[in-house]
Amino acid sequence: MARQNVTIHTTRPSDTKPTPEDPSWAMVIDLQKCVGCDSCTVACKAENRTPPGVSYNVVVEEETGTYPNVRRVNLPRPCMQCDVPPCVSVCPVNATYKNSDGVVVIDAERCIGCRYCITACPYGARSFDFGGTYSDEMQGYTDVQSPEYGVQRGKRGSYTPPVGTVRKCTFCTHRTARGEEPACCETCIGDARYFGDLNDPNSVVSQLAASPRAFRLREELGTEPRVWYLR
Amino acid sequence: MSTASRARGIPTTSPQRSHWWSRDPNTAPFLNPRARTIWYAVLMLALAVGSWGLYNRVFGGLATTDLTSTMPWGAWVAFYIYFVGLSAGAFLVSSLIYVFGMHQFERIGRAALLSAIVSMGVALCFIGADLGRMERAPITLLFFHWTSPLSWEVRFYTLYIALLIAELVVAIRLQKRLVRSVEAAHRTMRILGTIGVPLAIFGVHGGTGTIFAVVKARAMWAGGLFPVIFVISAMVSGTALLMAVHYWQARGAGRVPDRALIRNLSTVLLAAIFIDLGLTFYEFIVPLLAFEHHDQSIIMLQAFGPYAWTFWIVQMFMGLLLPAAIILSPLKKRTGALVAAAMICVIGIIGVRFNIVVPPLIPPVIEGYPTGDYFPTITEWLLSVFFIAGGALVYSLVSEWQPIHEPDPDDHAAIAADAGMPDAELRTEQETI
Ligand code: SF4
Ligand code: SF4
Repeated sequence: MARQNVTIHTTRPSDTKPTPEDPSWAMVIDLQKCVGCDSCTVACKAENRTPPGVSYNVVVEEETGTYPNVRRVNLPRPCMQCDVPPCVSVCPVNATYKNSDGVVVIDAERCIGCRYCITACPYGARSFDFGGTYSDEMQGYTDVQSPEYGVQRGKRGSYTPPVGTVRKCTFCTHRTARGEEPACCETCIGDARYFGDLNDPNSVVSQLAASPRAFRLREELGTEPRVWYLR
Repeated sequence: MSTASRARGIPTTSPQRSHWWSRDPNTAPFLNPRARTIWYAVLMLALAVGSWGLYNRVFGGLATTDLTSTMPWGAWVAFYIYFVGLSAGAFLVSSLIYVFGMHQFERIGRAALLSAIVSMGVALCFIGADLGRMERAPITLLFFHWTSPLSWEVRFYTLYIALLIAELVVAIRLQKRLVRSVEAAHRTMRILGTIGVPLAIFGVHGGTGTIFAVVKARAMWAGGLFPVIFVISAMVSGTALLMAVHYWQARGAGRVPDRALIRNLSTVLLAAIFIDLGLTFYEFIVPLLAFEHHDQSIIMLQAFGPYAWTFWIVQMFMGLLLPAAIILSPLKKRTGALVAAAMICVIGIIGVRFNIVVPPLIPPVIEGYPTGDYFPTITEWLLSVFFIAGGALVYSLVSEWQPIHEPDPDDHAAIAADAGMPDAELRTEQETI
């Protein structure tokens, strides 16, 4: 039970200091293996049942150079779960904070929806839930919500949290709590994503994060992301 | 003693006025009947039209705005910092009187304090409406996060409003001579004002600038110059607002606006504009010469983007250059021209605030993301009209009830001017009596 994160929305930063038993989740994404199929984006939307305009994960497709010397990079972008997260430091009410397992979480019962954290995130990883739904295109979309942070929220209402608050990738805490990988890692057809525990020096992520190919986005900002890319 | 000066509320014999809050029957009306009808009709119309925006916001949520997750802040945040600026600026003008003893501005003291309170209220309405979950606004006082400037701000605003109200109450009691000793009341005003000056500069307005300045993810916001620019442009807009308020209230009440006061305020305005221009120069030249490409893309957007007119015409021309030119030109001899300059400036500073909020959010934070695109919707405009008209209404009602625009009973020059006679004449008249 030590790793069970279902109590997240009642814990506060002061009581989420990591203990030695806590995992320290991290992700490594191999850009050479990513084929830019967007499966992760789709899997994430399905898993977290995110509404229109809210995408926890996206794949940025970038083409550089002029023909014939062109290079195309697909950059999958979850939340970086920064270790020095600017989104957390600006939140006026501590609604978003760093959990003991390294994941930056949001308390939808506390967030006032000021969106300060969205402006502060250098990776564009946060979205505001404007209350949109897919019910026009998809039957029963509002009938059930994803059990994010282990909280069963039931039906999606027009003004019940998380509507009116900010949302983001959680490394699928509800899945990791039961020993599964985040949905994006499980679905990746190129097997480009690795997920694991940095506290374990033998884990794949620990080893890959130390590889000479590894780099992180906008490292100059000092946000210490927990997502490494392999170039 | 002339009837005119008695009508001005000089409490030579003041029997039954025992509370500061009761209305003094001798107080001159805030507006004369015709001006009153027109003014309240305009306000009611604005409120009626604007209430549609309020309805939409309350029942439609933020989906009725043009905001997205790419453009998280827009018009309401811009108006919020605009009104915080007006408030801080108006308060700083009042401190010129009560703290720094510049009695040439005495006449505008209570109006400045009331404007500061009302502007702050309007600012809070704007930021409240901008919250995704409005009903949770009070919890910002419950939970404190020391690294968040916004968390500090909520507390500073509360303190600041409390202090402003206290200062206004003392000022009103002083005006009505309900205080035990005039000197002691002046001292209280000075103490409150002295606490208020750093609170307004560093806490309220510099602090609001800090909200933006700490965001290292966004070029042009991040940096130490930003809070300073906030304070100076607050001075610009606050001073200009008070010039316009004094002039139009006097006209509406059928009095002669105090020319000397407006002249003196225009000097303060000019100084603030010059400092603001200087800081704006540094704000742009440094990133340009440093070839900071993030900053440059935002500057290019401001200067040549689709809304470049808000930068060149509203912010630079109306907000700064035109008012400065009018105040420097021979037109300055005409009170009307100075007030026109002030009003143009008050509107122009809205452009400054929009250009602070919107352009830095437009370039994508990571190459390949969509570019932001934003223009306020009808709901956003209408709700803004509603809040601004609401603020004007509250200001007017308080001025109807309390002697906000009355001169101090000892200010014979102002009273004489109000009664339409030169000071000297009144003096001799009094002496003969
Ligand atoms: S990527 Fe953005 S949202 Fe995620 S932890 Fe970092 S700053 Fe916060
Ligand atoms: S939107 Fe919510 S999580 Fe983000 S800073 Fe505001 S209160 Fe905190």
